[in-house]
Amino acid sequence: MATPQEQIKRMTIIRHIIYALVAAAVVLPYIVKMDMPFSASKWSKKMYEAIDKLEPGSRVLLSFDYDPAAEAELYPMSMALLRHCFKKDLIPIVMTHWPDGVGMCKKACEEAAAESPKLWGKEKISGRDFALLGFRVGGADLILNMGENLKGAFTKDFYDEPTAGMAALEGVDSLRDIDMAVDLAAGIHVQVWIAYGHDRFDFPLGAGTTAVIAPKLYPFLQTDQLVGFLGGLRGAADYELMLEQSGKATQGMQAQSVTHVLLIVMIVVANARFIVNRLRGKQEA
Amino acid sequence: MTAVDNTQTSSSSRRTIELVVLVGLVTAFGIISALVRFPLEEGEKLRDVIGIIIGAGLTFIFYSFLYRDNPLFKIAENLYVGVALGYGAIITWRQSLRPEVYDPLFRAVTSEAFWHELSYRVVPIVLGILLMTRLSKKHSWLSRYSYGLMVGWGAGMGIFVVTDSYILKQLEGAIRPLQKIVTDPDVAANLSFFDQAWPVVGSLVILIGTVSVLFYFFFSVPHKRLGSGFSRVGISYLMIAFGASFGYTVMGRMSLLIGRVQFLMFEWLKIKQ
Repeated sequence: MATPQEQIKRMTIIRHIIYALVAAAVVLPYIVKMDMPFSASKWSKKMYEAIDKLEPGSRVLLSFDYDPAAEAELYPMSMALLRHCFKKDLIPIVMTHWPDGVGMCKKACEEAAAESPKLWGKEKISGRDFALLGFRVGGADLILNMGENLKGAFTKDFYDEPTAGMAALEGVDSLRDIDMAVDLAAGIHVQVWIAYGHDRFDFPLGAGTTAVIAPKLYPFLQTDQLVGFLGGLRGAADYELMLEQSGKATQGMQAQSVTHVLLIVMIVVANARFIVNRLRGKQEA
Repeated sequence: MTAVDNTQTSSSSRRTIELVVLVGLVTAFGIISALVRFPLEEGEKLRDVIGIIIGAGLTFIFYSFLYRDNPLFKIAENLYVGVALGYGAIITWRQSLRPEVYDPLFRAVTSEAFWHELSYRVVPIVLGILLMTRLSKKHSWLSRYSYGLMVGWGAGMGIFVVTDSYILKQLEGAIRPLQKIVTDPDVAANLSFFDQAWPVVGSLVILIGTVSVLFYFFFSVPHKRLGSGFSRVGISYLMIAFGASFGYTVMGRMSLLIGRVQFLMFEWLKIKQ
C-alpha cells in the first residue's frame, strides 16, 4: 500500500503527463497536416444569412465586449464579421463596454480595413466606411442612452472626431436606426443587450460568445431574441468557413478536435480505473 | 543521518536542479528569440518585436504554474493585474471622463458655455465625487447617497426589464411551437407528422425540465414517493445542464491554449502557416 506522500507524488506525475499530452495534442496538428472537415452549425448559418441579406450601406452595430483574455475565441469572430461587412459594403459601427476592449476594437478595425483592398478591392476609411466609437462607461445605461440619442452617447469617436456629421453615422440617431447589431461578449453583455437594447428598441440582434457562457444563451434563440449565434472558437470557424476566408479559428479547429479526442480517451481511462479500483476494494473487503 | 535530514537534502538538491533547469530555459528562450527575431525584417518595428518577445516570455511564465507555483508566476500575475488596471484607468479617462467632463468644462470657450455645460453635469459629478468618499472612514457615509441612487435606479429599471425579457418571453418561447400547430391549421396541414411531433416533444421536454428542477429546489414539502422520483428527474436535468456547461468550458479553455500556441508558433517563432 502506497503512503500518502507516494500517492501525492504519483498524482503529480500523472498530472504533468496529462499536461504534456494536452500540449502535444495542440501542437501536433500544426506539425503534421491533418484533414478534418467540418460544416457550419445551424445558428452560425442563421447569423451569416442575417448579415448577408442586408443591403449595401446598412449600418451594423458591432459591440466587442471582451478583453485580451478572450482574444483567442472572439478576435477571429470580430475579424470574420468585419470582413463580411466590408465584403458586402455594409457600414460597421464598432464599440465596446470594456475599457480593456478598446485595443481589440482598434486592432480589428484597422486590420480589416487594411486588408480590404487586397481581399475585396475596396478601400475602407474610418468615419466614412466604418465608425470606431470606442468605449463609454455605463453598461445598460449606455445602451438606453444610445437608444435615445446615439450621437449624444458618443459625442466623439475613438480618434476624437465628432460623431455629428460623420458620414458613417448619417441617418443614425438612435439604436432604432441601425439595421442589425451583433454583440461579441466574454461576459454577461449579451443578456444586457437583449433586455435593454433588442427588446426595447426593436432591432435584429446576433451574438457571439466565449464557449464558457455559450450554453446560457441558447434559450434566447428559440424566442427569436437572438437571430443567430456563434459559440466559441467553433462559431468563429463556422463563420470563416461560410465567408470562405480561412483564419486563425479554422486553423485552430484541427487542434481543438485532437484535444477533444484526447480528453474523451482520458475521461474513459480515468473512469475505467476508478471502477476497477472500486471493484478491487470490494473484493478485498 | 535521520529521515528529516534525508528529506532536507533531497529538497535542496531538487531546488538546485530546478534552478539549473530554469537558467537553461531562460538562456534557451533568449537565444531562440535573438536568432528568430533579429535582425528585423523590412517593415518590422523594434517595439513590436520586443512586445512579441515579452508576450512569449510571459506566456511561458504563466504556464510554468502547471509545474508549480513560483515567484516568476507571481510577478507575471501582478504585472497582468497592474497593466490591466492601468490601461483601464487611462482608457476611462481618455474615452469617457475627458470628453464628457473635462473638455466641456475646462476647455469651455466662454464663461457662459462653462455654466451651461456645468448645469446639466453637476449632479452626476457630485454623485461621482461622493463615491470617492469611500476612501475616508470618517466621510464614507456620504457615498451611500450615490450607491442608493445606483441600486434604486438599477432595481427600478431591472424589475420590469428582467420580468419581460427573461421570464415572460421565455414562457412565450416555450409554448410557441405548440401554439403554432394548435392555432394555425395551415401550419399543421403543411407539416409532416415528424415535423408536427418534434416541437411538441421539445416543448414537453422543456416543460418537464422546468417544473422538475423547480420542484427539486422546493423544500416546503417532503420529497417522498412520487415527489422523490420527480425531483430525481430534476437532478438529471441539472446534471445534463452541468455536463453541457462543463463541455463548453473545456472547449473554451482549450481554445485559449490554442490561441497561445498559435501566437508562439506564428508570431514569436515566425513559422509559416
